[in-house]
Amino acid sequence: MATDVIMPKVDMDQETGTVAQWLKEEGDEVKQGETILEIETDKVAIEVEAPATGILSGILVDEGETVPIATVIAYILEPGEALPDQAKPAETKAEAPKSSLETTVRQTDWEVPATPVARNMAEASGIDLAGVSGTGPRGRVTKKDVQDALAVPKPFDNGEGKVYATPAARRISNEMGVQLGNLSGSGPDGRIQAADVLAAAERGVVTAETIEPLTPAAEVEVIPLRGMRRTIADRLTASYQQTPHIGFTWRNDMTRFNETRAQLNAHADKTGSPRISATALIVKIVGSALARHPWLNSSFQGEEIHLHRDINIGVAVALDTGLIVPVVHDVAAKSVSELAAAVKDLSTRAREGQLIPSEVRGGTFTISNLGPFGVEEFNAIINPPEAAILAIGATQNEVVADNEGQVVVRPMMHMTLSADHRVVDGAVAAHFIADLKAALEQPVLLLM
Amino acid sequence: MREITYLEAVREAMTQEMERDERVFLIGEDIGAYGGAFGASFGMLEQFGPERILDTPITELGLTGAATGAALVGMRPIAEIMFMDFTTLASEQLVNQAAKLRFMFGGKASVPMVLRTPGGSGTGAAEHHSQSLENWFVHIPGLKVVMPSSPYDAKGLLIGAIRDNNAVVFVEHKLLYKMKGPVPEELYEIPLGTSEVKREGKDLTIVATSIMVQRSLAAAEQLAEEGIEVEVVDPRTLRPLDPKTIIQSVIKTGRVLIVHEAVKTGGFGGELAAVIGESKAFGYLDAPIVRLAGKDIPIPYNRTLEYHAVPQIENIVAKARDIVQGKV
Repeated sequence: MATDVIMPKVDMDQETGTVAQWLKEEGDEVKQGETILEIETDKVAIEVEAPATGILSGILVDEGETVPIATVIAYILEPGEALPDQAKPAETKAEAPKSSLETTVRQTDWEVPATPVARNMAEASGIDLAGVSGTGPRGRVTKKDVQDALAVPKPFDNGEGKVYATPAARRISNEMGVQLGNLSGSGPDGRIQAADVLAAAERGVVTAETIEPLTPAAEVEVIPLRGMRRTIADRLTASYQQTPHIGFTWRNDMTRFNETRAQLNAHADKTGSPRISATALIVKIVGSALARHPWLNSSFQGEEIHLHRDINIGVAVALDTGLIVPVVHDVAAKSVSELAAAVKDLSTRAREGQLIPSEVRGGTFTISNLGPFGVEEFNAIINPPEAAILAIGATQNEVVADNEGQVVVRPMMHMTLSADHRVVDGAVAAHFIADLKAALEQPVLLLM
Repeated sequence: MREITYLEAVREAMTQEMERDERVFLIGEDIGAYGGAFGASFGMLEQFGPERILDTPITELGLTGAATGAALVGMRPIAEIMFMDFTTLASEQLVNQAAKLRFMFGGKASVPMVLRTPGGSGTGAAEHHSQSLENWFVHIPGLKVVMPSSPYDAKGLLIGAIRDNNAVVFVEHKLLYKMKGPVPEELYEIPLGTSEVKREGKDLTIVATSIMVQRSLAAAEQLAEEGIEVEVVDPRTLRPLDPKTIIQSVIKTGRVLIVHEAVKTGGFGGELAAVIGESKAFGYLDAPIVRLAGKDIPIPYNRTLEYHAVPQIENIVAKARDIVQGKV
């Protein structure tokens, strides 16, 4: 195959090159790397090597001719190979600059009225005066005009894949799990400011970086990490890496809980008010325990620990596409009936994708109930910046020893609390758990 | 509270400390009968006599050396260098002796002296009587550097400097000498190494030194009319620096402008910017750290050029506005 010999670009600002001398002639055999010609730019003379081994053929540019860089000036053929069709004399021959002085002081510059200092500045900074509009008398270009022309900001090149953002914007994006990649910045040169990230979070935009789908191997289904999946990945990775988790597991005898719920629902059926789900009743009991144990209803904020007055419990809802945690706000102020309605409404709308951002924010504690799926017990990862999460397993009949040491069968529910050990000490968690367990096993204590 | 000038506050601090502690004395050129080039020691010769108000020949090196030696044997001298420009001549004793001796004697000797000197431009005194050379001394371990910006601070910090057991360079400002402000009559000490928030605001932190604190406060007044709330922090002591107040302020506002009169290149602003950049405040910065400082030229004699050689109120207003409006 024919290999092109082109006019090389050897200088940063070079646009053309002149063939000074061919060192090989048409039809000569050349080796790759062998010098075949000399070229000149307006600054230097340089030797050009053969890009391939073969026969130098179809020389298109004669000695002394000037052509734009990257113009094909000859070919190197394999033995017996014919010249390509397009091999014909170059038509676009640039005018050779006669001297460097003439190239910098263009004729047009002298036609533009300009003050001497403006002309000197333009020349020194390589500005074409013809492109500068003059504000002086009779359109004369002044020093200030040249300064203004120099001050026009060049489009900001943020480099490949780099995000231009302030440190504050980066910190907030990390904390809120917002990807900076696709945000447009309101700062100078499109710099992303803290306010841009906050606005994106407010809109509920969790923009994922554009990821080109990989060419999948035949047996692999490739799912790009974006949107909710990306948020889950980022947040849980950050939580698991940055938060020292401590876990506590225990069992609750749900006999009276089930009786209480049955009574509540019998009453609800009679009055037509909403039925009380097990989750709603657990939210109520957890809420009342949190009210007495503020360290479990807190968050770790860098140099400070914030104990929250409001008790806002997130209830994890599984979706086909992932997981979302709508938040039941101000649990302490709601009756169990109101909680049941709120949990039902939030989880229904979560599955329909109808939640608004405020309904997934502001949580102070999270519960995740995998009981309905038959899971006995599991460890959950804390939902940052909260201090704890409660993992609820299935209620199943188990053989246990009662207080008198008699073997009995009771409906037992396993729970696992994961807590941020920076905030919650083991004994603090144990007191919370004792309180929670007592209320689950005797819901009548809620009345106290 | 009664109001006195910055110059009177300096004199009162020296007088009251000399009345309290007989080891304190004053040494310098023209400080006796003449009362000091700016009048800081006016009337002190009459009160304390020539034993404690020592006029010296024109030798900055000699008088600084004498002060260093006196401090070394238990006195607490206050040396006055008429213009900060001539600390160049005192540098050998100050930098190579006063700053080093405590370290060289393993803490068994100390040099409790104060070197007072007025810096800054604005009087038409040109290249040799207008410089702000504080950062030279900030660079020397063993020296403390203090720059009061108000009459109250001048008295409290000078008393703190006299009572400090290290060599302290106390940089006054010629244009501030006439500034009046409330100053308590009794002795009070401002410990060296305490920054102060001079004005609270939420949009931008200005960290300024000496006269630039006053110009920044005036700029903050103007900016407040535009709805821009500027917080002004005065480090007061450049070395040792109290970075905590500054960092807390930058964390609060997310934007910082550093203003000083000394030329920008190699000035204290570079150090401040680095301290902020290395701190927790980095993650709260929502704009580049910006310095507004003297131009990199000797102070010109021509009054118009002199005016434009260092930051003025209108420059601070414009730069602060640009930062808050997201133009930098």
